[in-house]
This record gives sequence, structure tokens and C-alpha cells, in this order.
Amino acid sequence: MVETIVNILFSGIFHASVLFLVAAGLQLVFGVQKIFNLACGSFYALGAYLGIVFVKYFLSVGGPPVLAILPLLAAGFVLAIIGPIIERGLLRFVYDRDVHFQLLLTFALLLMIEDIIKLIWGTYPLSTQGVYLAFGILDIFGASIPVYNLIVIVASIVIAGIMAHILSNTRFGRIIRATSDNNEMAQALGININNIYVKVFTLGTVLGTIGGALVIPSTAAMSEMAVDLIVLAFAVVVIGGLGSMKGAFVGALLVGILKSVSFAVYPELEMLLIYIIVIVVLVFKPQGLFGTAT
Amino acid sequence: MEKNRREFLKTAGVGVLGAGAAALLGSQKAFAAPAKGVPKGPVKIGIMGFQAGVAAVPGIAGIRAAQIWADQINKAGGILGRKVKLKIEEESKAKDTVEKFKKLTIKEKCDVVSGILSTGNGQAVGKEAEKIKQLWLSWDGTTQKGLIETQPKAFYGFRSVDNELEAVAGAITTAKVFPNIKKVAGIGNDYSYGRNCWAAYKRVLSMYNPGVRFEEGIFTKLGETDFSAAIDALAAKKPDLIMSSFWSGDTSIILKQAAGKRLFQKVKGCFTTGGGVHDTLKKEFTPEGLILGYNSLYFRWTDNWPLLNEFTKIYHQKHNAYPVYECCHAYFTLQAYKAAVEKCYGLTGQWPTKEQVVEALRGINVPSLSGYRGYRQDNKQECCFFMGLTTHKNSYDFVTIDPVYILPSAMIQKPEGYTFDQWATAWEKKVKG
Repeated sequence: MVETIVNILFSGIFHASVLFLVAAGLQLVFGVQKIFNLACGSFYALGAYLGIVFVKYFLSVGGPPVLAILPLLAAGFVLAIIGPIIERGLLRFVYDRDVHFQLLLTFALLLMIEDIIKLIWGTYPLSTQGVYLAFGILDIFGASIPVYNLIVIVASIVIAGIMAHILSNTRFGRIIRATSDNNEMAQALGININNIYVKVFTLGTVLGTIGGALVIPSTAAMSEMAVDLIVLAFAVVVIGGLGSMKGAFVGALLVGILKSVSFAVYPELEMLLIYIIVIVVLVFKPQGLFGTAT
Repeated sequence: MEKNRREFLKTAGVGVLGAGAAALLGSQKAFAAPAKGVPKGPVKIGIMGFQAGVAAVPGIAGIRAAQIWADQINKAGGILGRKVKLKIEEESKAKDTVEKFKKLTIKEKCDVVSGILSTGNGQAVGKEAEKIKQLWLSWDGTTQKGLIETQPKAFYGFRSVDNELEAVAGAITTAKVFPNIKKVAGIGNDYSYGRNCWAAYKRVLSMYNPGVRFEEGIFTKLGETDFSAAIDALAAKKPDLIMSSFWSGDTSIILKQAAGKRLFQKVKGCFTTGGGVHDTLKKEFTPEGLILGYNSLYFRWTDNWPLLNEFTKIYHQKHNAYPVYECCHAYFTLQAYKAAVEKCYGLTGQWPTKEQVVEALRGINVPSLSGYRGYRQDNKQECCFFMGLTTHKNSYDFVTIDPVYILPSAMIQKPEGYTFDQWATAWEKKVKG
């Protein structure tokens, strides 16, 4: 019994960790730029694919598997380059447009990136070798937990902590919050809004790409992984509250653990339970658990 | 039949290797003028397979096989001197797929369409084929609804083997290899294939192991990338064996994540269809001793079937990969079409009509990548199913199987005119003696 509970708990938290990174990027961009970026799932997929490339190279030049986390993080950070390109090249044209245009644009972006992935890496599932199990397996109360899963959980918590610190205690964070509250006022106070938008979007992109890169040793990259993830990320932001980082954290945890519990209790309820909660939140607390009412 | 089933389970080979196998590859003759009575211009063959999404793995493999086949045939002089020209269209949703099927027939004037992997699409294309009188040779798309055949009287449509065959083959292999298991849990994709396979597996395994108990099946969406929770749920049931009908990237993902939880150190496994992504099943996370099914093509089946050896070599050279079952389905349908056309020509001295080709295809047997394969009189494919136990004893970084059990569809597919239930009931009676 204890073994089962420990397994369920760790599986749920592991799933939540990855979901949190993607949802946090989504929240950050929405909070400041008021754009619901459906392409965040594509950043996750790009992170996964580039992570595989970096890890393969790292291992091929004799890098030890236990340090593979470094090329994975590097892949996530290198992809920061696409943030400014997409923000300046596309998004800035739709800030004042209807939300439908924004959704269509980011959805088109998602499909385009999916095709680019197929063009570069094909449609065959790809994965890293020799990394996931290189860290060993921990036995806790009879449950076997891959150490790599714990690394992802810790990495996610550290990133959440860094994000919280940046947003609460730094000048950049205060500017982000000010811009999020009232961008016209922020602009009137001399803040370069365009510059903030580029930085925030890039930060949101990197959260997604790091999420994808970190998770890849435990799974396989498939071209359609972006679409699958965005559906769950959507549930996370609705439950947590659109634009709230705390909401992303709690929402991801809730969705991750709920998924894990439902599998153990009654698998047929897996998605049903999550969406029952989404509906309940939408009906009784439409701003989400931590969102602010408008 | 009973005797044969027992026999083939003991056999690691199938006696389909006839004389003159080298001749199967055809001579390398220059492209000649069409034979007398044969129209000029190329034979247009429509090819349809998934090129995107989860099903792109087998879809693209099938398309590649069709291209290799066309190159080989054209090098050898085409079909009765006519060059083969492939017109490739993407399989997608049923409505779009039917439109593309019509386009290949009406606009491109294809002589035949070979392809389709999805059963949902198969049902729609099957109906359309009868309506517009187009010859359709399915690769993997059945026209079943659940375990029931919806188009038993098809004329122009030649269907794949039934969906549940991998599961039937898996159940027989389980009974043979792990006769003492008491409790089985199952996981599959959450759509008709996953659920039908689980139902068929339970039914057949129960015949040979009446005491076995089955847990509630777990079904995950196609394209899932995190099975941690599902693995925990499976482990919590404490089964002796886990059956899975995963056929795409999900096979390697669940095996990798299961290795992280030491699942298959405690439990036996039967992956009925995972051989479709065999080279992703790396040794580091795929244990030895799991039952693994390759459907209709196992690239290391034998060194004595030149068609397979040559094809595997070309496929690997071109795509840096080893062929999977969809290659065999595609290759077989095209081989069958060519043989049917040539058979008709041998009788009439004329290029045949589609209706004549249909008649010639019924009961045909041609050499394909997995030995001789054919069509039944009810337009249904026949092939061998390759099952075995995973082993690390090879030069690859992924598992292969040893021993290899070969189960011909003639023995594990419901006969013409029977539902799965009727057939299984008759089989049960026979097993009980």
C-alpha cells in the first residue's frame, strides 16, 4: 500500500514538474503580453529534439552520461534565440488585434514548427541513449524511483524558485509586474515595452525548451508531442488562473497528481477527472484558483 | 488445424522457402517496349499512407517499400513492359482520405490504389472503392467495426488481415512460453485497435490457460509520452504478465519508463505489435525474455530468402533503418497486383480490366518479403506473424528475437463467413476436446 502511494505521488510530481515549466512559460507570456501562446508546446518539442542532438554529441565525444544534464540545459538555452525572432517577427503585429487573430497565429506557428521538426528529424520517434538509467534507481518504501525523475523534479523546483525570486525581488521582476498590471502606465514611466516583451517572450520560450530538453531522457520525441502537451497545459492554466505563476505551480501539481491517482483507482477516469475540475473552476471560479478577477 | 497450431509453435521456421528463390528478384533487363496487347504509357499506381502523426512511422515505411518495389520492377522491365509510375497521396482523416482516393482514381486515372493503414479510413475507402469501381489493395486498414467485418462482400476492395491477429498470435505465444501465469494486466491505445486486441487476447489465452485471471485493461491516448502513472497502476495490480498492443513510439517509451521502475524484473511481458518500432527498443531498457511481435515482417527472419535480404540491404542503405511490417504489406500488395495482371495477360493476351484483376487476385499467392503471401477468396490478406522472445545476443544496440515463432494467418484469422465470436467459440470447443 505504502509502495503504491509513494509511486503515485512521485509519478504525479514528475509529470507536474514538466507541465509546470511549459505552463509557466504560457503564464508569463500571457501575464505580460496578453497573448495565449499555443506555440509553447512547440518550444517544448524543439527542446526535446535539440536536447537529443546535444546529448548525442556530448556522449559521442566521451562526455559521461551523468553529466548529460549539461548539454540538455544548453539545448534549452540555445533555443532562446527563437524567442526574439518570433516576438519581433510575428507577435508584435497582433498585440492590438482581436484574441482570435492571436490564437490563430500561435496555432499556425505550432503547426509550422511541427512541420519543421518533421523536415529536420523525420517522424520516427527519437530518444537519448544511456542517460535515463545512468543515474540509477532509488528504492523508497518498496517503490522504485528513477533518480533522473528526481533530478527533473528538483530542476523544476529550482527554476520555479528562480522565477519567483526574479519576479518578486529584482528590478526586472518589478518591471514585468508593472507591465503586466498596466503596460500603458509602465510605458509612460519610461519603460521600453518592446524590450520587455522580447525578454519576457524569450524567457517564456526558454521555460518550454528546457522542459522539453529535461524530460527527453525519460521518454521519446515525437513530432506531435506539442499538441498533446498544450491540451494539458491549457487545463493547468484554467485551474491555476490565467497569468498566475503560483497558479501554474499549483495547477500543474493538481493535474499531475490527479492523473496519477486516477490511473491507479480507475484509469477510464484519467482525463474525465481533470476536465471535471476544469469545468468546475470555469463555472464557480472562472478566474482560476490564483487568477485575478477582471 | 489443431495439430498444425501445435506444430508451428514448436517450429522456428516456416517451410515456405521454395526452389528458385533467387529468381524472385527478377533479371536486370533493360526497359523494353510494352508486350503485344498492352497499352502504351506507364501503369499508374496510387499509394496512400500516413506521413504525419503517430501512424507516420509505419506509413512512411510502407511508402518507402513501394518506391523500392517500383524501382526494382522498372529496372526489370516494368509490368508487361509498362513502366510503373507511383502517385503518392497522404492518408489523413477519413473524409480527406476518401477525396484523395477519388482524386487518384478520377483525376490521376490510377489503375489501382495501394495503401491505407487506418481501419476508420479503411471503412470509408472500402465503400468508395465499390462505388467508383476502383481496385483498392489495403496495407493495414481493415473494414472491421470492432471485431465484426462490415464489408464481407467487397469486390474491388482487398482488405488487410484482421486487426486482432497480433493479439491472437500474442495469446498463443503466451500460452506456449509462459503456461503457468495466473494473472494478466493489459495496456493499449485508447481506440478500437487497443480495446479489440485486449478482448481477443483475453479470449484466446483463456482457452489455453483457463485458470488465468485478467485485470481491468488500461488504455492511454495515442501519442502519450508519460506512462509513469500507468506503470504504477499496472504494478499495483501485481500481475504475472503485462500484455501491450502498443505499436508505435509508445512501446519504447513505456519500456524505458518501466525499466526505471524495474517493472519487467518482476513481471513478464507480451508486446504483441511492438516490433513495428523494433530499432527503438534499445537493449539498455528492453529486457531479454519479453514476448515481442513483429506482425508480418521480421528483418532477421532468415538468411535464405533473397527477397528479404536484398530488400533489407537496400532499405538500410537508403534510409539507415531496418524494415518493419508495413514494408511487407506494401510490397506484397504491389507484387500481388503485378502477378494478377500477368496471370490475366497469360490467359487473354490483353491488359486486363479491373474486374479481371479482381478475379485473378482471389486465391493468389506471391513471394513477398516474409515468404509467400496471398489473398483469400473473400479478398482478405494472408501472411505470417513473427513472434519471439527478446534477446540481447546480436550486434545491434536494440533487441531482436530468439527463438522465432511463426504463426500463419491461415491458422489465427477467422475464416470467411464467421464472426470472431463464432470462430472463437468453435475453437474453444475444439481445445476443450
